[in-house]
Amino acid sequence: MSPTRILLAAAAVACAAFAAIPILVAQERPMQLDDTKVPKGRPAPRMANGKPDFSGYWKGTTQTRPGGNIGKDLPGWKLPLTPAGEAALKHNLTATVDPEAVCIIGGIPRHNASGLPFEVLQGNNKITFMYWYSYFRLVPFTPGLKHSDDPDPSFFGEEIGRWEGDTLVIDSIGFKDEKVWIDENANPHSDALHVVERWTRPDYNHINVETLIEDPKFYTRSFTYARTWALGEPDEQIQEYSCSENNVDAAHLGFGPGPIRPDGTRGYVDPAPLPPPVPKK
Amino acid sequence: MPSRLVLLALLLASAAGRVAAHHSFAAEFDASKAIRVTGTLAKVEWTNPHTYFYVDVTDEKGTVVRWACESGAPGALSRRGFKRSLLKLGDTLIVDGYRAKNGANLMDARRVTLPDGQVLSGASAGDGGPQ
Repeated sequence: MSPTRILLAAAAVACAAFAAIPILVAQERPMQLDDTKVPKGRPAPRMANGKPDFSGYWKGTTQTRPGGNIGKDLPGWKLPLTPAGEAALKHNLTATVDPEAVCIIGGIPRHNASGLPFEVLQGNNKITFMYWYSYFRLVPFTPGLKHSDDPDPSFFGEEIGRWEGDTLVIDSIGFKDEKVWIDENANPHSDALHVVERWTRPDYNHINVETLIEDPKFYTRSFTYARTWALGEPDEQIQEYSCSENNVDAAHLGFGPGPIRPDGTRGYVDPAPLPPPVPKK
Repeated sequence: MPSRLVLLALLLASAAGRVAAHHSFAAEFDASKAIRVTGTLAKVEWTNPHTYFYVDVTDEKGTVVRWACESGAPGALSRRGFKRSLLKLGDTLIVDGYRAKNGANLMDARRVTLPDGQVLSGASAGDGGPQ
């Protein structure tokens, strides 16, 4: 028997044994959807003014790999860091805990790289993105808006929307430069960050974003991050989440995200197995 | 070795389903330190960002040590059928998981076995931890 067959057989035995254990997971809805199973072709809904309506509860797809990595679309997920960017990454890895773990807003573009669902409600002059952890952003797209000369630094930045045909463009400047990770892997951004998001709804069940990221302090050139989300069920919505209610874990967190796997995601490659399941009575 | 290969295969197979959580499993827990704790349920905190339940473990000398068992957020647990009402103070629980990197009596409760044999998944969704 070939090594592959041995592996498959062993996996089958392991899965069969595991299936015999009544772990209660069947009722949990997936937080990501397999996009090959999401219907396409139904037209996107539109507002009374004819613009696409992005409203809905949106879930990432399992085709987005690696999740949580802003370098997803770059060869080898290698970000073009400047020396200052390299130093900032080292600082994040060795001297900071994940800001989201201590209830600090993830901001943009981190939320666009997150695997967590989010919800959108759209009005005629403003669009709201609501995220897990009870964070939200309100983006105005009234015609004629311009950036401030000296915007107050914030986690989402000063965001200004505009329509280009059926594409909603969100241009953001004025970001914070401390207690921010640009993605789950602790990559950095500076206060020179400029983000341009181009949102489209190609059909009823999907929205896309193409994100341009410019940060001349920490990155030698601009780069892009593209992503698709699929529509959740009609009864799904963002739930209450009070991040600082009982944040026991904050005192136990190490610096940085921990090891990054060869596939570009955070976590251990080869964890020790749990003790064998308790025999059924 | 085969068991390690199987675990690796299952880990890779589940990689696509991984999503982002409140923080990385690897920032808090040591995946090389899998442990089993058996004790009496003394306290439950059904809270965000994580639920915690505490079990008192009595050693051979009669000394009681309290272990904090960290699980997913209440909403995530509830949606998978892990309800607050299933945890009854005084019950003996068997908790399998991974120990905190800093050596505290804190563990990630990946698998919880109730007195009636029900097995619950306490894992935080999408934390990059062992699936």
